[in-house]
Amino acid sequence: MGTTASQLPKDSLSEYQELTFLTKQEILLAHRRFTELLGRDERNHPNPRVPMQVILTLPELKSNPFKTRICQVFSTSEDKDGSLTFEDFLDLLSAFSDSATLEIKSHYAFRIFDFDDDGTLDHSDLEKLVNCLTGETEDTRLTSEEMRQLINNILDESDIDKDGTVNLSEFQHVISRSPDFVSSFKIVL
Amino acid sequence: MVPSKNRLAVSCPTEEQNLIKELVALSTTEQIRKIRELPVSFEEKKHVSFIQKCKEDVYLWVLLCCFLPLQSIRRFGYNIKSARQTLQLWQGIMKEIGGKFGSSVLNYFVLLKWLLLFNIFSFLVNFGFITIPLLVSDLSPNVSPNVSFRGLELLTGAGYFNHTIMYYGSYSNETFRGLVDYDMQLAYFFTISVYMVLCGLVLIFSMASSFKKNYALADQASNSAWQLLCSWDFSITNEKAVNQRKNNLRIQLMESLSEKAHRERQTTSEQLKQYGIYFGSWLLSTGLAVGCGRAEDTETWSTLKEAETLLVPFVVSLMNMVIPLFFSLFNKFEQYSSQRKQIYALLFRNVLLRISILGVLCYYWMNMVPQKFTCWEPIVGQALYRLVIVDFIFLMLGSLFGEFLSNVIGTRIQPRLGVPEFDVARNVLEIIYFLFSFFGRFANVHQYVYPLLLQVSLTHNCQPPRRSGRAAQMKTIFIFLLFIPFFVGAVSIVAYTAWSLTPSEHCGPFRGLNSTFSVIGEWINDVDKVSSTEWVVWIYQNVIRSEVFYFLITLIILVIIYIFWQLIQGRKELIVLLRKQIANEGKDKSFLLDKLQDLQKSCPKVNKKQKKRTTVCFARFYSKFICLQFFCCCCCFCTLPNVLFFFSTQADAQLSAPLEISPTQTRWFRFYSLASSWRKRRDAAPVAFQSRRTFPPPAP
Repeated sequence: MGTTASQLPKDSLSEYQELTFLTKQEILLAHRRFTELLGRDERNHPNPRVPMQVILTLPELKSNPFKTRICQVFSTSEDKDGSLTFEDFLDLLSAFSDSATLEIKSHYAFRIFDFDDDGTLDHSDLEKLVNCLTGETEDTRLTSEEMRQLINNILDESDIDKDGTVNLSEFQHVISRSPDFVSSFKIVL
Repeated sequence: MVPSKNRLAVSCPTEEQNLIKELVALSTTEQIRKIRELPVSFEEKKHVSFIQKCKEDVYLWVLLCCFLPLQSIRRFGYNIKSARQTLQLWQGIMKEIGGKFGSSVLNYFVLLKWLLLFNIFSFLVNFGFITIPLLVSDLSPNVSPNVSFRGLELLTGAGYFNHTIMYYGSYSNETFRGLVDYDMQLAYFFTISVYMVLCGLVLIFSMASSFKKNYALADQASNSAWQLLCSWDFSITNEKAVNQRKNNLRIQLMESLSEKAHRERQTTSEQLKQYGIYFGSWLLSTGLAVGCGRAEDTETWSTLKEAETLLVPFVVSLMNMVIPLFFSLFNKFEQYSSQRKQIYALLFRNVLLRISILGVLCYYWMNMVPQKFTCWEPIVGQALYRLVIVDFIFLMLGSLFGEFLSNVIGTRIQPRLGVPEFDVARNVLEIIYFLFSFFGRFANVHQYVYPLLLQVSLTHNCQPPRRSGRAAQMKTIFIFLLFIPFFVGAVSIVAYTAWSLTPSEHCGPFRGLNSTFSVIGEWINDVDKVSSTEWVVWIYQNVIRSEVFYFLITLIILVIIYIFWQLIQGRKELIVLLRKQIANEGKDKSFLLDKLQDLQKSCPKVNKKQKKRTTVCFARFYSKFICLQFFCCCCCFCTLPNVLFFFSTQADAQLSAPLEISPTQTRWFRFYSLASSWRKRRDAAPVAFQSRRTFPPPAP
């Protein structure tokens, strides 16, 4: 199951091909990029785990506004520190690949936007989302009045059962009506 | 197994068992697909896959027989997928553009790539069926001795090229007798018609699927804030581009907030003014387009010498370059309520311009040229070739230098919108391509070079578009534009050429016939003579040549369209009703939750009171019972001696029986046993009593 320094064993490769949406080329490229991130002593470790800071040096993730959330969602570590093993990394690439289904993408998008991990997008989650996407500095933030109005508009539109939060089904319903989502929820190495 | 944070779907054993049961019932490919689509971590998927495989060990020998071949087929499928990926063109370019400009521009490049593959396919088909037989039959070009190759031919297409196989004017009209009889006339006709039909089908299907995905299922209010937020482009990797997008998104969000307010604020006079401006600019643009057509008409009459023949394409390309700038200028004066309408208006005007210019050109080629020249097919081919080459040169100059200049101007004066200007202007190539394929062979190499060129100029000169989103709908519009004016125009021109125009006497594969289509008639006559192929003749006479058949087909298609349209209306109403139902159920749920909370808040006080009341009740009842007991005891106490006396008097007659139980003992024993049984019942009863009380009748 572990990864050796130079190449993947063949049965692992076929297992990865079966259980993820990636092709052989993409898996090998991912393996190469992942081993480049490892330290020299970690390369011979059976299942190395890369800390979040190192993952975030990848050029594909460096400028992404959701980089920390992505690492936290796909991480399987006990400490919830956002560190990834190779299989977590493959999970990440698989969910963001071209051939992943809409359900998978919307599921993971929901979890990325759910900043407090409570299973619904409530007022504070939406506020953090808007701030993440509009800018962090003082002059680029929306005022509290604008923010309130914006979040009310959002909830008016997507909260169908009017409970004040957006749950997974409502989110997936909004996503299914947005044809740009599938092509924009993509990260390619 | 390390417990992972991503345990959602298979968190408890029963769910896992249900999942396994579901998986075992499916076929192997379905199982793999289903496991792959579980939104859980990799370890979970491995675990599920392992358990599911263990369950299948029952019929191991059956599996061994069937499993191995299936697995090898699957491996083969994976290999094909990865091989296809390595062959993908322009991988690096696409990634760089996607990283800097986002997926909307990337979609445009994807469209270009699709068109190029189309081109390559058509080239292969044409080359394989037409050019190779010609070459194989060893026909050397019958060039007259005083014509040699000069450099000018690359630009004008005349001279030496006239006698080669590049134009169909020099094709033979013979039938090659060899291993198989290969009739050049039929080959030419069928290749072109089958190829056009294939093009049409591919365009229709891609347009239909794109339309369904991006318009029918998309929401009406899809420039809403939520859609903008959800469609954040994760593929952008450039820091500057990300910041710019964030900025643009903020502006768009503010605009969407204030859009409603703005719309209400416009007074009637302002609206009238705006309509006046719209009308004026449309008038001007149609006037320009028609004017260009007329100007070109007068130009085409004076094409005599070879170098002067370049004048027409030059003028055409110049007009194509300059007039759209005027259109963009008009656009700046007009204020459209949404950016999308602005782009569509610009697009429509450009298309109108192209169509008018090309219309005039085609009219000239189809009507004037056959009357003036005896061998008109190569002339038309040459004219098309010139148009393509000059257009390409202008394209190169425009992309490299024009953009550079406007970038320099733009950075000094004002920022400008980079990309949408490309999208319209280059569709003109396509119609030329389609026409040219009938009149000559020409590998459109420039279609390979163009995207590379575009990428260079984009990365150095342009900035990303200001308005993100709606990329998918733009793609639908592009395909729609490609199909309706250009493809339909090309098909109608080719059809007109085939049906009505008389082929020239001495040139081309159809020389000597009345019309191109009569080749089919002759072929059918030949086929008729062979008895085993009478069904072909029957089909030709009664299906293809009869009008009733087409009428019936059209009628059936119209009926089917009507049925589908009614289905759509019904489904739309159903969606509205279901949404209302969901909203109502949400309201019901919140009502019931509120009710429950109220009850739970008020219930603890009720319980305490109830307990007090019940104990008081019981106390009262108990005391009553005690009194009753006492009374009974007293009665017994009183009567017992009398009874005993009675028995003793009776017994005295026989024997005096000793008293086994003393009255006092009996009384207390009875009292105690009754009291203990009642205590037991009292302890059991309050629960039933209380629980009855916690569900009062529903309030009115």
